[in-house]
Amino acid sequence: MDSTLDQIELLCIAAQLMLENGSETYRVEETVRRMAAGLGLAHANITAFPTSIFIEVDGSTRVRRISRRGTNLGRIAQVNEVSRRVEHEQMSAQEAALELEKIQHSPCTSQHAMILAYAVAAASFSLLFGGDASTFGVAFLIGLIVQAVQPLFIKTEMGVLFGNFAGGLLTAMLAQLFAELIPYGSVNAAIIGGIMPLLSGLLMTTAVRDTMYGDLVSGMARALEALLLATSVALGVYTGLKLVTMMGGLLL
Amino acid sequence: MHKLLVGIVGAFGGTFSYTYLLHAPRQTAIPASLIAVAGYVVYLLVDAAGCSAIFSYFLATVVISSLCEISARVMRLPSTTFLLSALVPLVPGYTIYSAMLALVENNGMEAASAGLKAVQLVAAIAVGAAVTPVLFRAFYRRTQAMHTRR
Repeated sequence: MDSTLDQIELLCIAAQLMLENGSETYRVEETVRRMAAGLGLAHANITAFPTSIFIEVDGSTRVRRISRRGTNLGRIAQVNEVSRRVEHEQMSAQEAALELEKIQHSPCTSQHAMILAYAVAAASFSLLFGGDASTFGVAFLIGLIVQAVQPLFIKTEMGVLFGNFAGGLLTAMLAQLFAELIPYGSVNAAIIGGIMPLLSGLLMTTAVRDTMYGDLVSGMARALEALLLATSVALGVYTGLKLVTMMGGLLL
Repeated sequence: MHKLLVGIVGAFGGTFSYTYLLHAPRQTAIPASLIAVAGYVVYLLVDAAGCSAIFSYFLATVVISSLCEISARVMRLPSTTFLLSALVPLVPGYTIYSAMLALVENNGMEAASAGLKAVQLVAAIAVGAAVTPVLFRAFYRRTQAMHTRR
């Protein structure tokens, strides 16, 4: 089975898995180069972008399109482990392909755990932005609801953008609704806490790190993505604030 | 003192729960959260000492990044799996968001000032996070070479 084409296919799958799960571009290229060395492919060329991969070995080329991007550090760690063993020739290409297949279909954190995690994250961030104990509670409730609606958007086109917009909208509306029902610490801190898990400061940092390692195109692409996501959250919050103001005007 | 305690609780809770959102390997959750707390405390102290925001973010990131490199070597996992979680309390997602909110509200001045601040902070964090592994690798290689020579 160990023909060159199969080996290139293996490199492709590894690179694709890493990019889809939020690895930096330079790390993907380095990993593939090391795996290629372990497989005995002396002249492997790889170019990776956040949206595509090109791998060339001895005149054969494979191109892959990356259409889904998220963050899954667990899978990155697992691919890293496989690549390390291939590099040190402790694993054949065939075994590695099976292992990668397994990683690709490994279960993610369950939605219940994600809801709880989002709520705790939202509540904790509201503390960092000047919230008190009551704000902590409100941000926790907001977090539960915001993450609970996220699966509705994952399957649709531009799902992440819509999810972020809905997250911002819900957060702004709920934070003000709770303020009407029970006065609590700081509406602003509750809103910031509620949207913090959506915000992509990490993406921006990865963008600058990519740029510093010389991956200018990746850096620009990621920075643009980060700005776009932040804009969709901001639009959602603004819409939520305006809607409540208008509804309040109608009711009073 | 109160701010420090709230900061520690917030940074730990925020990072620990964020490891779930990032699907981080389970065994990294607690070390990454402790590293995040250490970094956040450094940031708060340096900031309280009156240093500029860029410097305090840079110093905090160097501390976080060094601790991540060490834990990565001890636990034999890629350092990114620690770093991305541990940077969560520091990264200025909020500043980027407030720049965009100001744009949506048609407030150009506010957007420019928040946007510029975000660029400063992101640059400080990225430089800190990029320089530390390079130094670490150089140092690691030298100590390894010393061991093999002997």
